[in-house]
Amino acid sequence: MAKTTNVAKTATRSQVKWRVAGIAVLFVVSLFVVLPSYANKGISWVNDKTNLGIPTLPAKGFNLGLDLQGGVQLQYKADVSDIAPSDQADSVEGVRDVIERRVRGGLGVSEPSVQTSRVGDEYRVIVELPGVTDVTEAIKLIGETPVLEFKEQNTETARSLTADEQKQLTAYNNAANTKIKTALKEINKTKDFLAAVAKYSEDSTSTIAKNGELGFIDDTIYPEIYAWAAKASIGAVSQSVITTSDGLNLAKKISERDGETKVKASHILICYKDATGCEKEWSKEDAKAKIESLKATATAENFVSLAKSNSTEPNASETGGDLGTFGKGEMIEAFETAAYSAKVGEIVGPIETEYGYHLIYKSGEVTPKEYEVARIFVDTKTATDIVPPVDAWKTTGLTGSQLKRAEVTQDSSSGEIQVSLQFDSEGTKLFSDITTRNVGQPVAIYLDGESISEPTVNVAITDGNAVISGGFTWDEAKLLAQRLNSGALPVPVELISQQKIDASLGSDSIDSSFKAGFIGLICVALFMILYYRLPGLVSVVALLVYTGVTLGIFKLIGATLTLSGIAGFILSIGMAVDANVLVFERLKEELQFGKGLRAASEEAFLRAWSSIRDSNITTMISCVFLVWIGTGFVQGFAVTLLLGVLVSMFTAVIVTRNLMRWVFGFFRHDTANWMFYGHKKAEVVPAVNVQSNNKQQ
Amino acid sequence: MTIPFVKYSKFWLFVSAGLAVLGIAAIATWGLKWGIDFTGGSLMDLTFTGARPENTAVVAALEEVGVSNALVQKSGDNGLIVRTATMTEESHQKALATIKKEFETKDNVISEPSFEMIGPSVSQQLRQRSLWAIILVCIGIMIYIAYAFRAVTRPVPSWKYGALAIIAMLHDVVIVIGIFSVLGHFAGVEVDTTFVVAVLTILGFSVHDTIVVYDRIREKLLHRGQSQTLEEIVDSGLNQTLGRSINTTVTVMITLFAMYFFGGASIHNFVLALLIGFVAGAYSSIFIASPLLVYVERWQRRNLTAKKA
Repeated sequence: MAKTTNVAKTATRSQVKWRVAGIAVLFVVSLFVVLPSYANKGISWVNDKTNLGIPTLPAKGFNLGLDLQGGVQLQYKADVSDIAPSDQADSVEGVRDVIERRVRGGLGVSEPSVQTSRVGDEYRVIVELPGVTDVTEAIKLIGETPVLEFKEQNTETARSLTADEQKQLTAYNNAANTKIKTALKEINKTKDFLAAVAKYSEDSTSTIAKNGELGFIDDTIYPEIYAWAAKASIGAVSQSVITTSDGLNLAKKISERDGETKVKASHILICYKDATGCEKEWSKEDAKAKIESLKATATAENFVSLAKSNSTEPNASETGGDLGTFGKGEMIEAFETAAYSAKVGEIVGPIETEYGYHLIYKSGEVTPKEYEVARIFVDTKTATDIVPPVDAWKTTGLTGSQLKRAEVTQDSSSGEIQVSLQFDSEGTKLFSDITTRNVGQPVAIYLDGESISEPTVNVAITDGNAVISGGFTWDEAKLLAQRLNSGALPVPVELISQQKIDASLGSDSIDSSFKAGFIGLICVALFMILYYRLPGLVSVVALLVYTGVTLGIFKLIGATLTLSGIAGFILSIGMAVDANVLVFERLKEELQFGKGLRAASEEAFLRAWSSIRDSNITTMISCVFLVWIGTGFVQGFAVTLLLGVLVSMFTAVIVTRNLMRWVFGFFRHDTANWMFYGHKKAEVVPAVNVQSNNKQQ
Repeated sequence: MTIPFVKYSKFWLFVSAGLAVLGIAAIATWGLKWGIDFTGGSLMDLTFTGARPENTAVVAALEEVGVSNALVQKSGDNGLIVRTATMTEESHQKALATIKKEFETKDNVISEPSFEMIGPSVSQQLRQRSLWAIILVCIGIMIYIAYAFRAVTRPVPSWKYGALAIIAMLHDVVIVIGIFSVLGHFAGVEVDTTFVVAVLTILGFSVHDTIVVYDRIREKLLHRGQSQTLEEIVDSGLNQTLGRSINTTVTVMITLFAMYFFGGASIHNFVLALLIGFVAGAYSSIFIASPLLVYVERWQRRNLTAKKA
């Protein structure tokens, strides 16, 4: 306070207007970020009307923590005690990589978070699997030590069946044939399809439980049954046996309906520089001009030839842009919408997608039927059921346990980046044998049953040192070396903490905390308006800006919202108005000294600032240490509270101040009235206040 | 009207000291009921669609598969919370299977909405970090206040503001921990990470509140008239910030109550700790931190005169 001049800075009316406009823009932008779906509706409306082609916002939701969306968190300790200190960090990274691949591939988790952290001397791997409920499987999958295998090409072909096996096969299939014929006879006699399903069908238990009903099928599921159903009348039972890929069937047609409409269309694509897969150097504007001129000349008759000579789509010169028949979900949304809404024979466009601009000619529309059928199924066998087909690769006995290490190196003459492998004595011998056998042939390196590299052997390698080269970038080579090392140096991992939360529990939490936040916000707003009246209303506007901006920042920085984070945010709503309360109490005092409205409000902000600053800094100090404690709940809370406090200082001081200047500008007289709490002048001005009021430096 | 806070402050200081002593006594006798975050262990949260089994029956069933010393507790209308020592996933599955085998019927489906297992190394790390965080926050705040009040060194040196703010803050924290010690003993309320978060937040807020009052006193001290005593300045500062103290507490309480009643059961204790701490924080700024400033000044003066004599 001592250093600030006590002459309240005032802004001119136009400055204030610009600032208020700036605040309004900020608020609208933050709303767009928070609620992109509404914003996108607006943008596409504008695009429709004006053809401006404003890009839509990514309709991404908030990042929800595990406690809100349900899932599993597992913490592992990596046992690196057997590994040289310099390699520890790398091998833990290797483990991280393997775990990530396993949960992506094995569990099908699309957005796993796998992080490594170091606590003292301990390396930890923290795995978060949103949406996963089967913890046991996840733990089993992750806990396995990575398996590295070397395989060579399998030259053997599948053996043919022995006479005995052939006989068994024929007998099995004959029996199946007899069984299905018996079933058919019985149905024709008793007219009871259901009883025959129960008696004869070898279908899955669930299908039999549904009286053999397969539901509505289209021509992709059991095309043979579909073909029969297309000709049969409703209620009919097939009079001959229908052979499908899995066995023999008797089908009954229950009903039919129109399936999903499909579109037959061709298109012309004009891509531009930076569009996905584009090799042209045209600018976006040029591409747009070109497609517009094509549209002007295109007719149903010349469309194919125009596509052949103009479309930038690969192979367009042969296909003429023909897309065949497609259904919903097969094309990019914008393209699909346009193709579906066009009339048959119409040319529409240009439609913008990530590939460029499209002109679409819709040549037809089909609505295939779908048939509801039930079946009696009898299993048959083929030769491959008895002798399985042969793998392209066969194991060689060389595995990661014989690999000493893998590292990224550079070829001394060509400078090419490669991964070099070193085997132990047993591995050296095996590798030497394998390479001698396979000169000129590829060998495959498998990690966890998945081929990661298939280099070709140039010469037999007998010294146990091999290199894998293949145009790697440095990062790719490093990744491969890491993978190889993690297969080669199995780092045992130990589960040290786990947490499972059901999705239902999570969604309950979202609902209740949303409700709590909403009610809290409304109550605080009511309190402020009822108590402080006009300034209260201004602070509520600032509070809305605060809410919008804070949520917008959460989204932009990709902060993960957890239950605790929401709690921190709700709490910060209560604390955000504290700064306003400080200012308004000051305002009240200044007004009581008999100051004019504008001067009093400038003074109030100036004097309250040091309190606002100092008090918020202590909260921030707490938050910083909370972040440091480091577990999920704590961090979520601290980060949101910290951001909340920072944003609230901005909204309380800059936003409220300028809004108040702007609003006060509408007052003809520079005096407070009933719209201000405590506006009446104090009758006896205490001596103390005169003192503080007169301070000037 | 000016409320003479300092004049009656002795009474409030005794009340506060009494509360703090009670709090410390409760902590000393009963301690806190630590959650598995700090002790390590496993926690199974079970819900039943029908009648839940007796606690003892569950314990007995778990004994049979080698899960000993399980603590079973009822939660909500149809839930059970089962606490055990740190379990491997294998024994967790075995325990769950046993409970399902023993108690699950067609009309009483058992599900496990959440399961938590904290190993000893994780809980140890958390214990250490929590303690350090509390210590470092105290030091950080003290340094900051000493810095922020550096211009005011008379009549009370600036570091003493920091120290007094910390005393008020410790008072608040002792009351919160004391109440949770009582709740832990009589109602089985556990103290987990969320509680540490609440305590650290209270630390921040308590000082936040004290600073607002001190800031006003600081402002008055910088421009005070010759005739004014520190007591008068403190009283007028307190009176002028009273409206703000009440209103800020009210708005924060509103949001906390909204969270308490609508925010779901999982954050109940967290919000409760914050509620107690925030009330105590607002109270201690007015009735402890500020009057103590006057006493410190009197004590200093007495020492000074004693030395001169």
